[in-house]
Amino acid sequence: MTLLQVRDLSVRYEPKSQPSLTAVDRVSLDIAPGEFVGLIGESGSGKSTLAMALLRLLERPGRISGGTIRFDGDDITHASQEDLRRRRWRDIATVFQSSMNSLNPVMRVEAQFRDAIEEHSDLRGDAVRQRVRELFEMVMIDPKFTSAYPHELSGGMKQRVNLALALANRPRFVLLDEPTTGLDVVVQRSILDSVRRLQAELGFAVLFISHDIGTVMELSDRILVMYAGRLAEEQPAASLVADPLHPYSKGLLGSYGNPRADTVRVTYIPGRPPDLSRPLDGCRFAARCPEAIARCTTIEPEFAPLGDGSAACHVARLQRGPGAGTVVGLPEPTRRFAGPEFVKTSADSERALQAPVFLTVDGVSKVFERRRGLRVERTEAVRDVGFSLRRGEVTALVGQSGSGKTTLARLITGVERPTAGTISFTGSDGTQTDVERLRTRSLRDYRRHVQMVFQDPYSSLNPALTLRYALTRPLRNHRGLSAKDADAAAAELLETVALTPSSRFLDRYPYELSGGQRQRVVIARALAADPELIVADEPISSLDVSIRAEILELLHELVRSRDLGVLYITHDLLSARLLADEVIVLNGGRVVEQGPALDVIRNPRDAYTRTLLEAVPNPFQQVL
Amino acid sequence: MTAGVVQTGTDELPLGSEDQPVATGDTSWYRLVWSSGKARVGIALLLGFVLVAVFAPLIAPYEGTRTDFGPLLPPSGEHPLGTTSQGGDIFSQLVYGTRVSLLVGLFGGLVATLVALAIGMVSGYKEGSLTDDVLSFVTNVALVVPVLPLMIVLVAYSEVRGVPLIVFVIGITSWAGHARAKRAQIITLRNRDFVTAAKFAGEGTWRIIFREIMPSMTSLVAAGFVSAATGAIGAEAGLSFLGLGDPGSISWGTMLYQADAQGAVAQGLWAWVLVPGLTLALLITSLTFINFGVDLLSNPHLRED
Repeated sequence: MTLLQVRDLSVRYEPKSQPSLTAVDRVSLDIAPGEFVGLIGESGSGKSTLAMALLRLLERPGRISGGTIRFDGDDITHASQEDLRRRRWRDIATVFQSSMNSLNPVMRVEAQFRDAIEEHSDLRGDAVRQRVRELFEMVMIDPKFTSAYPHELSGGMKQRVNLALALANRPRFVLLDEPTTGLDVVVQRSILDSVRRLQAELGFAVLFISHDIGTVMELSDRILVMYAGRLAEEQPAASLVADPLHPYSKGLLGSYGNPRADTVRVTYIPGRPPDLSRPLDGCRFAARCPEAIARCTTIEPEFAPLGDGSAACHVARLQRGPGAGTVVGLPEPTRRFAGPEFVKTSADSERALQAPVFLTVDGVSKVFERRRGLRVERTEAVRDVGFSLRRGEVTALVGQSGSGKTTLARLITGVERPTAGTISFTGSDGTQTDVERLRTRSLRDYRRHVQMVFQDPYSSLNPALTLRYALTRPLRNHRGLSAKDADAAAAELLETVALTPSSRFLDRYPYELSGGQRQRVVIARALAADPELIVADEPISSLDVSIRAEILELLHELVRSRDLGVLYITHDLLSARLLADEVIVLNGGRVVEQGPALDVIRNPRDAYTRTLLEAVPNPFQQVL
Repeated sequence: MTAGVVQTGTDELPLGSEDQPVATGDTSWYRLVWSSGKARVGIALLLGFVLVAVFAPLIAPYEGTRTDFGPLLPPSGEHPLGTTSQGGDIFSQLVYGTRVSLLVGLFGGLVATLVALAIGMVSGYKEGSLTDDVLSFVTNVALVVPVLPLMIVLVAYSEVRGVPLIVFVIGITSWAGHARAKRAQIITLRNRDFVTAAKFAGEGTWRIIFREIMPSMTSLVAAGFVSAATGAIGAEAGLSFLGLGDPGSISWGTMLYQADAQGAVAQGLWAWVLVPGLTLALLITSLTFINFGVDLLSNPHLRED
């Protein structure tokens, strides 16, 4: 008995001015009533397009170009919008990726529930109000918020409201498309816990889409892995962790490690997904696959049952299928991704903790004032914070959003001035700078020494300017190089961050690069001034999980080879452990714990640190 | 540097690094503008007007300022649209009038756009500072002053009348709305990370505004220019119609002024009134159509339909 049956579904995008591409290619899947299925893949793998096709919400230039979607036996592949309207919210409900904005801002929340409930049931008047209160209690929001407007709710609450709205008519199938992307780790954890609890209680089926294999793994019964528009692997969650078939799944799993271990190993998948608008031969993953054999580049592997599930991989099939061992030169079966790896040992840190202190933050507070008519609203973002940074050491500033970590970064880089306290910086030439008193001119000199790496490489590179421009400007301003010398130095910087040959990249625009490449350019730009301290504000959080370790490794390498200090700002304790020698935990603008990274993670003393640690997704939890 | 570990960039080349074209973001602006049917019509029409203006001496049978023909001749082979009551050839006046309208449109639009850019960009970038307060105050004053009476007063009291004066007057009276739009736009752009990054790269204010931020606004600046030019052409025709035009040259506005003064409608001389009026409407329509295409640049949502 299947609730949702998809056979050979293909979706094509055919824009007028660009080459058309097949975003979803012959995908088949079944979801049984009450089953929790996870769908993972990196950005651009076609998972959201698949979701939109299943909901029949595709808009031009996209269209379903082949295959069927059956819901409860009825073919809805080409059903009319009127038919679909009756099903939506009653049979099929969804929580969108951008659901932060999917509530109507000018309607009270209750009215939006009323619309959905009255359309699909006989409930009216007070009965609806009662139902809305019930739903709110179900997702653990105080029912007094039923009469609120969406802007009065926090991000996490909005997402809970969206979840309640999706469940309002007791649907049989709920599609969750990255429902917690953009939310804080701790909030994310509590929402996912609600989803899991409600699914167990109410028994609806779920297709949970995410790029983060860690969260999907903990929740799902069965996992689908998608790559470049095709399914790569399907397995029960437990056996996927224990025995992944497809090298791509191994790569995704390799992005996680145990932060408590002495030596943490994290792998990443080099390269980028293929361009789907060009003809593809063989396995789509072959170019990035460490296990690829000759036939992978010519014959497209079939998606067929193998082991406990199904996979589309020649190597896995030859290793496990009938006739195993007949092909020569086959790699040994492995559970790990045999690709590049980032290793962090505890010995690395001990050396760094001996270095001299060069930046001291002492008793720093920051109060933001906002004038509202005659009243002045005060928000204390940072309260009485003190710590010091050492040359050649990575210090992680960890906390959830609103903990004041970004404000601290802005104070240290001189973007904002503290309300109280001092920040003093000692340059390698012995000069002392009082950061809190810098004026425009001296601030520019200070930034020779302190540079910043931004969170989102898509917004921190000017889309209208070439890499050459982006890199030569700081060289000319801070190091006073001539145009010709700056060009040569820019090329050298690109080589440093492994964008080689640099001549190929200098005249590119940012949109021609992948997210990981862009972040490398951002790092190169920060290095241009030859700084002593780099403040990196969540440099990996907007990148795909599969390439995060690559950027961490680059930063790690730069720290070691250039004697550079890094202040690494993050909400994620695993990455803090990977990169940092020392960890400072911030909560509500105050330092609640600090110490060597491994100590803090192994023996957290503060309750808040423990909450953060528990929120780190760990796909291996079920096995270990 | 020992880059033994960070080698992933090497095998990963930028999109389109081989001979294939880049798949995303490569749609060049002219192709985008051209992709709109309305913009194509507008561009063709405008091109027509430009050709007429450039080759006016070849197209027009006579000098536009000549008034030594017989008055009120009906349309004929010698005078395709007949003559005015003062003995001017209507067709020739129309052809030479194109020059004035296009010149005023080009330079009036340019002056208004440049003033709007300088004031709007600086005040938006410095939002909340004293500079912004002063510039915003000036903008607000310019917005509330009634434009047409101001233009009339300025032109009426000036010693020399001519195209440069008209351009100047139109330029300094019509920038305020555009400055407002640009201020609003730069406020949304100035907090982008790439602007902060430029500050970290040691860039100065002017360079950040005009080199880093302005390229992201090019399409809006272009749209602003086209609409300012449209306004300038209309304003010139209006001023000339009120008799404030340059007496030494012929424009569509002065043609309408004379037609009105001589009671052309009452006498049933329709060609004299309709032809310059319709031509003016056609030129303004062509510019409006072009703006549909420019809109596609600034708003990607309009591109697919």
